[in-house]
Amino acid sequence: MSNYIVYLEQLEGLFAGWQEKYKLFVPQEKEGFYFLEEYSPEAEISFDYDLLYNPPKSFIFPPREDLIEFDLKTYKSKPLFTVSPQILFGLHPYDIKALNQLDQVMDMGSVDVNYRQRRDNTIIMGLTPLRVCPEAFWGSVNAFNVDFGFDLFWTKIGPATFLVEVGSKKGEELLFVNGRVDKATSAEREVARRKKQEIVSLVQKQNRLKYSWEEVPRVLEKSFDSFLWAEKSRKCLACGSCNLICPTCYCFDILDEVDDKLNKGKRYRTWDGCMLESFAKIAGGHNFRGRAAERYRHRYFRKGKYIYDMLGELGCVGCGRCVRVCTARIANPLEVFNVLWEALSYER
Amino acid sequence: MSKPKVAFFDFAGCEGDQLQIANLEERILDIASHVEIVSFREVKTGHSDDYEIAFVEGSITRYEDEERIKEIRSRAKILIALGACATIGGINCLKNFLNEQEYKNMVYGPWARYYSTYAARPVSAVVPVDGEIHGCPIDKEEFVEVVKSLLLGKKYTPPDYPVCVECKKAGNICQFERGRLCLGIITRAGCGGVCVSRGSVCWGCRGPAPSANLDAAREVMDEHGFSWVEVEDRLRLYLGHFLKFN
Repeated sequence: MSNYIVYLEQLEGLFAGWQEKYKLFVPQEKEGFYFLEEYSPEAEISFDYDLLYNPPKSFIFPPREDLIEFDLKTYKSKPLFTVSPQILFGLHPYDIKALNQLDQVMDMGSVDVNYRQRRDNTIIMGLTPLRVCPEAFWGSVNAFNVDFGFDLFWTKIGPATFLVEVGSKKGEELLFVNGRVDKATSAEREVARRKKQEIVSLVQKQNRLKYSWEEVPRVLEKSFDSFLWAEKSRKCLACGSCNLICPTCYCFDILDEVDDKLNKGKRYRTWDGCMLESFAKIAGGHNFRGRAAERYRHRYFRKGKYIYDMLGELGCVGCGRCVRVCTARIANPLEVFNVLWEALSYER
Repeated sequence: MSKPKVAFFDFAGCEGDQLQIANLEERILDIASHVEIVSFREVKTGHSDDYEIAFVEGSITRYEDEERIKEIRSRAKILIALGACATIGGINCLKNFLNEQEYKNMVYGPWARYYSTYAARPVSAVVPVDGEIHGCPIDKEEFVEVVKSLLLGKKYTPPDYPVCVECKKAGNICQFERGRLCLGIITRAGCGGVCVSRGSVCWGCRGPAPSANLDAAREVMDEHGFSWVEVEDRLRLYLGHFLKFN
């Protein structure tokens, strides 16, 4: 696909053009943290953000989503879709990889129509990171680069210059909304390549998986009975924060609500998480994972093995959100994967 | 089908939970159209001892209260504790950490010796309770949800996970990241993380989540640099009953 050059002063015009049809979300700072917030001309865009505080999945798989509407008197129901076209600008590669993974799991078997509807109405614009948050380890889990899953991908190659890679026809059309822009030269492409390399080496230097990511499922397989699970989960508050903040976690619960007159109702879904105590509780009160250690182990097996067995890639993209959000500081996948590997090498 | 008869009662508390129900304003008419309210002194006059569903606000703080709540229990088919004082003992339990003479003098002054009182406790410590609506004050949406569940013959189950879940759904910045002590890590959710969403911290008014790991929470708060005094002080505000008796 083609590469183009966009200058900082062109951005405002482009954004205004896009906003005619789309809701546009760009990274912005709030109290020292970064959020994808709706763009306005006064907004200060944080091109150099290190990590979005909340996972971008919430734009496509919202924390609460109405699914169907039903009538208690006539017993009729109809599906609900409330979707508006949106652009998510400035997603880092690991977050795009996470969305690509969500696409796969949500489309597998019977397609999740609500998810698909939102996804089809979402334009993804990637951005090469300029900074790395201290908890990140995406350099070690094959999430530093994405070849697909974006419509445009932006790399800042100069103080006011961006190289833009085109990922889809729709993306290219959006780029030309105010007329054509310059094509990138091969020298400019080379600068962008080096910018990407630079940040990858930075993240790899700071936090590193001590072995190849492809080995993680095999390390976990041998560690099912490890002492680590009980030891670490002793401090687990069962708050589910690590699940809910994870860009690849997609579990949800389905609930009903009715109006005050008891005539009509809605069925909605809301985020759920396997670290919550009643997640695996079934009718009759039995809990498949009643102990904290079992739940704690399950989460790492989801991230490091079960998703791999299904898709051939890890369920963890190394964004570091769970590391940051866990008040008990026990949710670091990199640390757990490394410790288990070391324990196995001692045994050998 | 005749409409179920509903009555409201209060013990030691500020009646703020009943006020929350009154605050439903016109919505109360829709809800009330399905039931017959026989006793609700904040909203209407009159009283009848013929009721099926009793909502009880306030904690039990005197021997005399026990007799009264037992009588309510014997008349009601369904008894629901309303608000933190009734469900977890609430801030009334603060006195449980003081000497009896001290708090009696504080409250009643020279007439202290005419009043009988004992350690504050939730309704469930005296009689069996069929349902609990947590919070200080209660969330009126949750109250409506409970009433609707009763009418539809469903069992209302309040969330059994901590407030952190709702903060994550709301996209809030964790108060621990701002260096503030927050009890959301152990408190039962259901409020939508309302205090944190509005810039405050969680005070624990909905009581500990069934899965709450109090020992781990103490360790976590210690690691985040909060002193023992700060932590215990905060825990006692709403969770006194659980510290003293459990």
